[in-house]
Amino acid sequence: MKQIHYPRLEETLYSTVLENGLRVLVLPKPGFSRKIAYFVTDFGSIHTEFSLDGQLHRVPAGIAHYLEHKLFDMPRGDVTPEFAALGANPNAFTGYDMTAYYFSCTDHFSQCLQLLLEFVSTPYFTDESVEKERGIIAQEIMMCDDTSENRVFDNLARGAYQEHPVAVPILGTQESIAAITKEDLYLCHRAFYTPKNMLLCVVGDVDPHQVEDIAMRILPETAPMPAVKRTPREQSLDTPQKEVQEQMEISMPTFLLGLKIPPMAWGEEGIRQEFVTDLAVEALLGESSELYMQLYDSGLIDSSFGGSFESMDGAAMVLCGGDSQKPRQVRDAVLRRLQTLAQTGIREEDFRRMKKSALGRRIRDLSSFESTCYRLCACKLTGFDYLEFPRLFASVTKEDVQKCLQDMAQTPGHCLSIIYPKGDNP
Amino acid sequence: MIQTVSLAPGITLRCIRQSRFKHSCLSLQFVTALEESSAALNALLPTVLLRGCQKAPNIRAVTACLDENYGSSVSTLVRRVGDIQTTGLYCSFLEDRFAQEGDRVLEEAVSFLLELVLRPVTRDGVFLPEYVEGEKNNLIATIESEMNDKRSYAAAQLRRKMCQGDSFALSRLGTVQQVRAITPAGLHAKYRQLLSTAPVDVFYVGSAQPQEVARLLQPLAQGRGRVLPRPNQSPFLPKIPSQTVREPMDVTQGKLCMGFVTDIVTGSSLHPAMQILCALYGGASPISKLFVQVREKQSLCYDIGAGYYGTKGILMVSAGVETRNLDRTRREVLRQLELCQKGDITRQELDAAKESYFSSLRALPDSPGSLEGYFGTALLSGGEMDVQAYRESLERVTLEQVVQAAKSLKLHTTYCLEGEEE
Repeated sequence: MKQIHYPRLEETLYSTVLENGLRVLVLPKPGFSRKIAYFVTDFGSIHTEFSLDGQLHRVPAGIAHYLEHKLFDMPRGDVTPEFAALGANPNAFTGYDMTAYYFSCTDHFSQCLQLLLEFVSTPYFTDESVEKERGIIAQEIMMCDDTSENRVFDNLARGAYQEHPVAVPILGTQESIAAITKEDLYLCHRAFYTPKNMLLCVVGDVDPHQVEDIAMRILPETAPMPAVKRTPREQSLDTPQKEVQEQMEISMPTFLLGLKIPPMAWGEEGIRQEFVTDLAVEALLGESSELYMQLYDSGLIDSSFGGSFESMDGAAMVLCGGDSQKPRQVRDAVLRRLQTLAQTGIREEDFRRMKKSALGRRIRDLSSFESTCYRLCACKLTGFDYLEFPRLFASVTKEDVQKCLQDMAQTPGHCLSIIYPKGDNP
Repeated sequence: MIQTVSLAPGITLRCIRQSRFKHSCLSLQFVTALEESSAALNALLPTVLLRGCQKAPNIRAVTACLDENYGSSVSTLVRRVGDIQTTGLYCSFLEDRFAQEGDRVLEEAVSFLLELVLRPVTRDGVFLPEYVEGEKNNLIATIESEMNDKRSYAAAQLRRKMCQGDSFALSRLGTVQQVRAITPAGLHAKYRQLLSTAPVDVFYVGSAQPQEVARLLQPLAQGRGRVLPRPNQSPFLPKIPSQTVREPMDVTQGKLCMGFVTDIVTGSSLHPAMQILCALYGGASPISKLFVQVREKQSLCYDIGAGYYGTKGILMVSAGVETRNLDRTRREVLRQLELCQKGDITRQELDAAKESYFSSLRALPDSPGSLEGYFGTALLSGGEMDVQAYRESLERVTLEQVVQAAKSLKLHTTYCLEGEEE
């Protein structure tokens, strides 16, 4: 196992790659009670087209999430009570390009880890159990449909993207999940749940070599190659729609504005681009920006307003949104300000202060095991060691951020997704 | 574990000294009774304080100061625990040793916090009208947005219908009408009253010495008058008969909320048993009776759980269910409780419920936020401040006691949010 010290962060990272291709990361945290383990596959909701053993496959939308639910079934029954008996909380989530299975525990760590590795690598689906899960997932889709945060994003993605599957909700739709069979699930498991396509990350007071031993013992010695993803490319940086609207039973309009930008590069270059883009968004509309204060003081936005950034295989969007009585005015102000800032540039002292704040916040975030584990996994899947972030931050210049703002100002593609209260006259 | 320092009569600093973390936290809360006449004022005050202080008179300047201090954060803290409402601020900041040589993050963070609390921006002796109006609008939007989250809307409706006359029926943030009625002068008067007479709880978790933190907080001790006593907690006593309330709404999925009353409250000998019952019956653990029966076995819902409010003696079950399955789910919820009352509980269920508590207690010291959250709340509820003793009391809980706790629960109000049928 390789061992890298990060004295400035007071962390030591252990890493290795097993014979079967599994990447393993361990970040020991002496003195803490909790341990968490993420077992992650480089497969998410957008990967519905792929070729395996020379054959092209298309699977229904929502299958990555469906598979996530179903993997908790083993031939001997649902694995969840087994975790509970060990005092552990198992859970999972499906993202656009990654699916993670994890648990947190304070005792019986090695047993929990064995169980995690075992159940995720054991596909077991029957027609009956697949049918039963359909009912539960249908309820989950309904619950999301009633949540304005989910709807405003899904509508935006649909309005902004034509070919790329980010335009389809992660959970799929009632129609698409109706088409999922156990054969589809077995296929996807074979295609993407091979150790060569996966990553194990542990954060907590553990022995890294023990983690490696357990992984070697439970998982097969050799593993097949994963499927090759054939994600449709988005042809244009323009957006098919500039506005998408819907009405729901909410008290005040809520909105999300997306600026379509070119997808991030792979590896360190891509992560560096993410840091630069974060700072550009901060400069444009962060809480210390002139724009934020103007909009807040005039009551056009409230403390729900914020900017962020969504990035995945083949797609990237700068986002900002919140609640507002006048979403279009906010959009116009943001786009105008972007043009201005692209021309005038940012001040050296603002840049320096923003960088100091961003770095301080990232160091603080290392206190959160979940956030650290997630970032370690997401970065490792793209070939970057997350704990190198201070070095990467130090390399970002004011010119980088200015160039990013200029590129954003030139992008034709933006889309405003609004949800109005029922009975409102927009 | 906790070191207590009295800063002044009615102002107490409690510290947990811990060097494991990369960040520290500090909370400052004025402790007051949750009452209709003051709930909204207390909820609004911290938002107006965050709009600016004399050193940083607007939002942009406030953020710039926090950014300059390594991305520190300050947020409003308005808690409601039983009959108590607190109002104040919570800050989180990097530990000094991760900052550049010579930068003193803690000192800067506490100094800025005191600026925000003691030297807000005023004009003619009261808060700026534009800040007060702006934050009133925001608070009204927050109160109205409770409607957006159907789950919390349904829970709030249950409390309102069930607990009329008790503080539990009140919203932590007040009502829209109450917020609308607030004036800059009225808010400033409330502010002066709290500064002068309200008990203050300050909580710090981090690597600094308690004496050092106390020294930095000294300015708080000035200008104090006669301190009011801390409010008491009193259990909920129903004032209306049992009822079922149905409300139609355009939602895809219905919501069910059921409120049960018990005479077991925080401090009762059966309080630990009631907590174990709640975990076993409808807790977060995915092997609770409600989860296994209603969700997994019958696919009736995605989301179901129970919560027990020890200060009041109320247990609440909430579920997201298709409208056509509301009555069936209600019957199943009652049936599962009956099973508990009959003692139909396995050893595994009892052990798993206890284990879920032990697990959370073991994880408690893992972050400044979880420590502040636990002890900050326990101080208000009268809960156990000695974690070891608390753990032991849970360990001693027997099956018979859990059954007794189950038997003490009486259904009072059922609330259904019903979507339109297709």
